[in-house]
Amino acid sequence: MMRAASAVKRRRVASDPTLLVTVLILWVLLALFVLLPLGQLILQAFLDEGRFTLAPLLEVLADPTHRASFFNSLFLGASVGGFGTALGFLFAITAVRGGLARHWLTFLDAVVLLPLVSPPFTTSISIVFSFGPTGFISHDLLGLANVSPYGYWSTALAETLTYFPIAYLTLRPILAAIDPNLEEMAFSLGGSRWQVFRTVTLPLAVPGFANAFLLLFAASLADFATPLILAGNAFPVLPTQAYLQITGMFDFKGGAVLSLVLLVPAAAVFLLQRYWVGRRTYVTVTGKIGQRSRSKAISRFATVLLTAACFLVATTIVYFYGLLVFASFVVAFGANDTFTWNHYRVIFSEGLPAIRDTLIIAGIGMPLGGFYGVLVGYLIARRRFFSRQAMEIVAMINYALPGTIVGIGYLIAFNDPPIALTGGALIIIACYVFRYSPTGIRATVALLQQIDRSIEEASSSLGASSGQTFHRVTLPLIAPAFFAGLGIVFIRSMTAISATIFLVSLSWTLITVRILENMTELALGPAAAFSVFVVVAVFVVISLLSAVLARLRAPTASAAARSLLGG
Amino acid sequence: MSSTGIRLEHVSKRFEHTAKGEVYAVRDVNLTVAPGELLTLLGPSGCGKSTTLRMIAGFEEPDEGIISIEGRDVTRVLPNKRGIGFVFQNYALFPHLSIFENVAYGLKVQGRPDAEIIRSVTEVLELVGLAKYERQQPHQLSGGEQQRVALARAVVFHPKVLLFDEPLSNLDAKLRVEMREQIRALQKRIGITTVYVTHDQEEAMAISDRIAVMDRGQVAQEGSAEDLYFRPATEFVARFIGRANLVPGRVMSSGDVEVAGVRLALPTDRPIGSTLQLVIRPEMIDLAPGRPGDPETGRVLQRTFLGEKTDYEVLIGETKLQTCRNDAFRAASFDVGDIVTVHFDIHHVHLLAEEQS
Repeated sequence: MMRAASAVKRRRVASDPTLLVTVLILWVLLALFVLLPLGQLILQAFLDEGRFTLAPLLEVLADPTHRASFFNSLFLGASVGGFGTALGFLFAITAVRGGLARHWLTFLDAVVLLPLVSPPFTTSISIVFSFGPTGFISHDLLGLANVSPYGYWSTALAETLTYFPIAYLTLRPILAAIDPNLEEMAFSLGGSRWQVFRTVTLPLAVPGFANAFLLLFAASLADFATPLILAGNAFPVLPTQAYLQITGMFDFKGGAVLSLVLLVPAAAVFLLQRYWVGRRTYVTVTGKIGQRSRSKAISRFATVLLTAACFLVATTIVYFYGLLVFASFVVAFGANDTFTWNHYRVIFSEGLPAIRDTLIIAGIGMPLGGFYGVLVGYLIARRRFFSRQAMEIVAMINYALPGTIVGIGYLIAFNDPPIALTGGALIIIACYVFRYSPTGIRATVALLQQIDRSIEEASSSLGASSGQTFHRVTLPLIAPAFFAGLGIVFIRSMTAISATIFLVSLSWTLITVRILENMTELALGPAAAFSVFVVVAVFVVISLLSAVLARLRAPTASAAARSLLGG
Repeated sequence: MSSTGIRLEHVSKRFEHTAKGEVYAVRDVNLTVAPGELLTLLGPSGCGKSTTLRMIAGFEEPDEGIISIEGRDVTRVLPNKRGIGFVFQNYALFPHLSIFENVAYGLKVQGRPDAEIIRSVTEVLELVGLAKYERQQPHQLSGGEQQRVALARAVVFHPKVLLFDEPLSNLDAKLRVEMREQIRALQKRIGITTVYVTHDQEEAMAISDRIAVMDRGQVAQEGSAEDLYFRPATEFVARFIGRANLVPGRVMSSGDVEVAGVRLALPTDRPIGSTLQLVIRPEMIDLAPGRPGDPETGRVLQRTFLGEKTDYEVLIGETKLQTCRNDAFRAASFDVGDIVTVHFDIHHVHLLAEEQS
């Protein structure tokens, strides 16, 4: 590849003071809110009175509970990766090859996306409602007593149901890209259906499986909320152990070390996914794609079986959400099923500060995150400046790190002067902006890569200044990415907890943290009501943003709408 | 109006190549385009023709040299201040704007009054035959229609020069012929100075007043289509414009040249004993039946019937000659293996000095 001679490049950057200042400001922000917390975390873990030491690490590894939590985390991650990929594949193959009617497909899609936009506890709460001592399934239906809903199985089930949509979204386009003609050709060569599936379809989907598995593994590894509710003492995992170390024992160093132990498998999985599997995910189909008729590669019997399994899972999800709504409207779930508005009264009176704080934080974080995402995405994709590639990587760090690490890093970095931010709203907003805007960055970069540079050149040749070009052409075309970025920051502000649980204070708290408090106080009704409120609020905002995206005439809007749901 | 349309003086552009270091994309190019003239930059991909065009537009800045438009030095002037209309290979229509808004864009950013914008846009859309599409979005139109919108958008604000960067490459063959006639007609009608870039020699010959053939960043030859075809200056031009048999020869005296042991009466002012090449176009050569054993006969190696013409490859001695004749409605046709004699008019042979490379 060729690039412009360096002399010209230097002249262009120097002649563009706006670019220079923007890049400088972004680097100051990235240094402050990405590099500093991570650096402080590492220093805290390995520095003792100014000297490098491995003693805290060895101490942590010597503790059998911590060691167990490390292996538990890996085991849980592998289980969720396996189960979730299988479930995602089930839905993907049914959607692509099942020949379902359009409205049934829409239904499945909607159900699958539900867990992606819900607060992290919804499945956990429903599992407690279903399998607890007075649980709907364990007690009412099966008549079992003294059943514990806590431990490995319930955690794995909740995480699988929460994260399998990621596998579905990863596998579906891959399966859809496999030309049915390929399978039919294998048929014509005399293969049986099972042989064709095993020797043609599955091998083509293998990179997709690996990708989905790793994504789920990483999601489970970083998940904090589900194990906090469901894992219990018998099944400790790393993120919750790090949290308890800090909030229970005020041991910052121990928490820092534990979260860094988590970093090792998380980083390994991220690098593996990004640089090894991620690049092989696309099925290359040569030649003309055959007519997209229903493939005969799956027998009628298998189709029925697959569809039934999908609807069973979908029903389970719908049942969990129904249970949540039901529990929010009864006095005491399992004991007293009398209708009441009381829980909603509670969340809008006692709980009002949390709702108000969350909405203020989300309201400020949204435009900031949306703007930041579009700006960084635009700079990375369209401008040439020194340190561009470094900026692309650094901007992604907080997104890739497990929330526990980010939260503890922020706590350590901003607890003391000169930058004492803990206790305020700013630190929570900064955490959301730098952790969730990378989705907006990726969306912007993807959009700009679709928009040929010649479109901006055309504007320039027609007499538009660079400002006019940005305003009249570039901005309208990347507007979808901006709105997608807004949506992600809002959804995560309403639903995230893993990082921000370390950052809430008496003056600023969050709905998700209140849900957790309610759960530990066994105030299940208000917890359910809060969850329903979050799901409704997220649904309303997503609908509004989708309506805006639909009104934008840019052909890129639909892609952005997908990234809104997928991210 | 100034006496020159566009002038390039000693224009060079370097790129940094990851493997080869600094390389010249364009090297010391000098060109003049007369007002109202259509000059085509013709050459294979990577010859520097597009870079040259983009420097005229201002999308690239030359490392050396001066570019002027109508007598004004625009070398360091931004594209939006040059008064150019640019038509891109991929049309580059604004996907979020309707056809009308696309064409109106240039007038709008220049702050023209609404009434004028509506009048001009309607007029030019009628000119390219797309008036009924003004409310459509670009993606609803076919490739040819989109390129006509791009053309309308480029001419509507009366630019000083019109620049085309391979505008027909994305269209199918039949549409290409139609569109190039439309472009040429429009260009003549508004009499605008135009630079047109293409890699297709037929397109270049059909559309241009003058052609500049580019090779490895430099102008190899400039002239009319006839100049380039009948009197190519280099082997590259001879091979790029039409097809050519290049046969090595040696100057024996000022009146004759020896080719493969045969002396041909060709006047040349090259020094005696120097080597040169004969440019023999396949269309110049005719075939006749030959007698076996005759030293001046050849053998047909290959025959390709193409309808309007038939291509033959004939081996004479150690020289392979490409010939081409109209066989379709003639009695005499030849088969592979036939013994033939070749005939051409010696006056049509063009002599090319051996290149020193």
